[in-house]
Amino acid sequence: MRFLREIYVVFWKEMLVWVNNPMLPVVRALVFPMMWIVIFGSAFGGEVNHIPVAVVSQDSGDLALAYLSMLGTGRTLELKYTSPSEAERLLRSRGVYGVVYIPAGFTERLRSGERVKVRLSTDESTPQIANAMAAHFARVSRSFSARFGMEDAVVVERNAVYGRGVKYLDYLAPGVVMMTILFSSIFSGGLNLILDREFGTLKMLMVSPISRDAIILGKIFAGVAQSIASGVVALTVAMLMGVHLKSGALGFALVILLMFISGFGFIGMSTAFATRITQLEQLMVVMQVIIMPMWFLSGGLYPLESMPDWMRPLAIVNPMTYATDAARAVMIRGIIWETLLVDLVVISAFAIAMFLVGSYSFKKTLGGVK
Amino acid sequence: MIIEVEKLRKEFNGIVAVDSISFSVERGEIFGFLGPNGAGKTTTINMLTTLIRPTSGTARIAGYDIVQQPEQVRRRIGLVPQEVVLEGDLTARENLVFHGMLYGLSRQQVESRIPELLAIVELEERADSKVKTFSGGMKRRLELVKVLIHEPEVIFLDEPTVGLDPQTRRRIWEYIRTLNTEKGVTVFLTTHYMEEAEQLCDRVCIIDHGRILDIDPPERLKHKVGEGEIVEIELTARCEEFVKELEEAGLRVKSARGCRVSVVAERSEKVLAEVFSLAQKLGTSISSISVREPTLEDVFIHYTGRSIRDEQGGDTRIKQIARRLKH
Ligand SMILES: Nc1ncnc2c1ncn2[C@@H]1O[C@H](COP(=O)(O)OP(=O)(O)O)[C@@H](O)[C@H]1O
Ligand SMILES: [Mg+2]
Repeated sequence: MRFLREIYVVFWKEMLVWVNNPMLPVVRALVFPMMWIVIFGSAFGGEVNHIPVAVVSQDSGDLALAYLSMLGTGRTLELKYTSPSEAERLLRSRGVYGVVYIPAGFTERLRSGERVKVRLSTDESTPQIANAMAAHFARVSRSFSARFGMEDAVVVERNAVYGRGVKYLDYLAPGVVMMTILFSSIFSGGLNLILDREFGTLKMLMVSPISRDAIILGKIFAGVAQSIASGVVALTVAMLMGVHLKSGALGFALVILLMFISGFGFIGMSTAFATRITQLEQLMVVMQVIIMPMWFLSGGLYPLESMPDWMRPLAIVNPMTYATDAARAVMIRGIIWETLLVDLVVISAFAIAMFLVGSYSFKKTLGGVK
Repeated sequence: MIIEVEKLRKEFNGIVAVDSISFSVERGEIFGFLGPNGAGKTTTINMLTTLIRPTSGTARIAGYDIVQQPEQVRRRIGLVPQEVVLEGDLTARENLVFHGMLYGLSRQQVESRIPELLAIVELEERADSKVKTFSGGMKRRLELVKVLIHEPEVIFLDEPTVGLDPQTRRRIWEYIRTLNTEKGVTVFLTTHYMEEAEQLCDRVCIIDHGRILDIDPPERLKHKVGEGEIVEIELTARCEEFVKELEEAGLRVKSARGCRVSVVAERSEKVLAEVFSLAQKLGTSISSISVREPTLEDVFIHYTGRSIRDEQGGDTRIKQIARRLKH
């Protein structure tokens, strides 16, 4: 009896605490599961849509137009009619994922019962997109061919510009490397600070004559270094598993630079959170509400093109998207400054802003003492 | 005066933790802050060591203002906070080296000071063991010398023996005396243990609810309760009448709680005779009686009407953390 009563007392107390802290239980019980279902369900379950493809057509006959209009039907592709040079530029700068070349005499040759080859240049750095695009071309070409009583009147020749054989692992690796930076920044920045404060080790630094800025910078740099270390481990493991690094040593150095810049941003961010956090549970909430979505909505696991339209803006404002995109560009496509610069500017701006916010709020919690 | 405190005050969200206190500490002294939990001891130390900013008032340490010249102050002080702030995964030596480096000492300088310091607290043999393998007492000892690495003029010890067993506590007192005499360092300590204040301190400041009740050497404080001794009596019945009768007979009843009565006696023989005859007269019997010297406990009761022990029980480390995690 007494034992049961003790259990009840403990239970009662826990429930009281739970009820008195309305945010946590509601968020835990309802919001998170819903959020996961929405994110997993729509971000990864959907088909890849709205893939931009450039069209270079050297035939204006009616059959060419009919073929192209069949390709453009539905939501899979977004066709852009361009000149050959413009098409090439777009493919390089990630403006399109593929270029389709309709050869001269397409209409005439089909009329005369000949087979026609259509060349499709693809960016295979995102294998899901390349495959979805190729599958769509194959399907359309088959039903178009059926009009002429043939299986293969129109044949699509797939030509991967950055090389073939990019596997899902290659696609996933850059995202996972950047995820490692994100997650370890949270632990070596935020969590570390909270523990320091709780266990008084921060006090030891605070009574010593070293400057407040030195404490902050020392902590942030240590956090960045720890994050880079885990990022390098992740990168090495990926390479051992056969992930290729397209741009060699310079590429490796660039990935480290990316880790450094984004690590700075994430540490600043987690420091800003940590200075507001007094309970470890709150850190878990931050993890679930902010950090995990940052990872899932970064295009690290699956292309952003597979997200429903309403979700895309979230990916666009997510700094992880740019960090992941940059790492993937360097690792798979090689160093193409056109796209890389945009990513670098965005994550650098994020890093500087977060560093300032983080160190400011850290300083504020030092009790206003010089 | 190495510490001069002037109307130092700290409020937390309007609640006064330290209420405009003023006092000073002489160079070379062991000065004790004695008070129950929540009296404002740690808050005072935090202000004096520049960890928090006073709401008003200020203090000078070795001539430097804690608000205006915090860095100068920090160079001249050492703090052993209530909680252990050693890095458990580092060895004793590494902890000392890290600490010295915070104060701008080179590794060699620190290394050259380590043997002597570890010898004071008899930890030479454990210099290269990880601190997490140390007992609570050993960690305290290491902290005591750790703050001496940079040769401070004053060290602040916040409840230096809380949570330690009586034997270890006595050893720590010895070490603190040694530091004070051999290194000539001024010691400012806080405690809620009576014996600690009595045995160790040159002067004791009694603090309660953020206010100073009195400052004097322990002996002088005890004399303020009354010259002489204290007779403690426990009765079996008719306690209230007994107390009344005692007072009517002109005896100084210091405290009476139920059937436990204590009386201040300049000449205890006379008081004892009186007590026995009164008990006989009232037809009650005395279950115990004792005569003792007054302690600081009596002084505290004298000033506050409460026993410091009532609210004793310094938080354990776990409790402290749990409490802070909760708030
Ligand atoms: N950071 C804080 N915020 C709010 N109140 C505090 C804070 N620190 C101490 N206090 C309050 O100030 C009073 C004095 O506390 P403290 O100085 O820790 O006492 P002591 O060290 O003598 O036990 C207590 O009532 C305590 O609750
Ligand atoms: Mg305290």
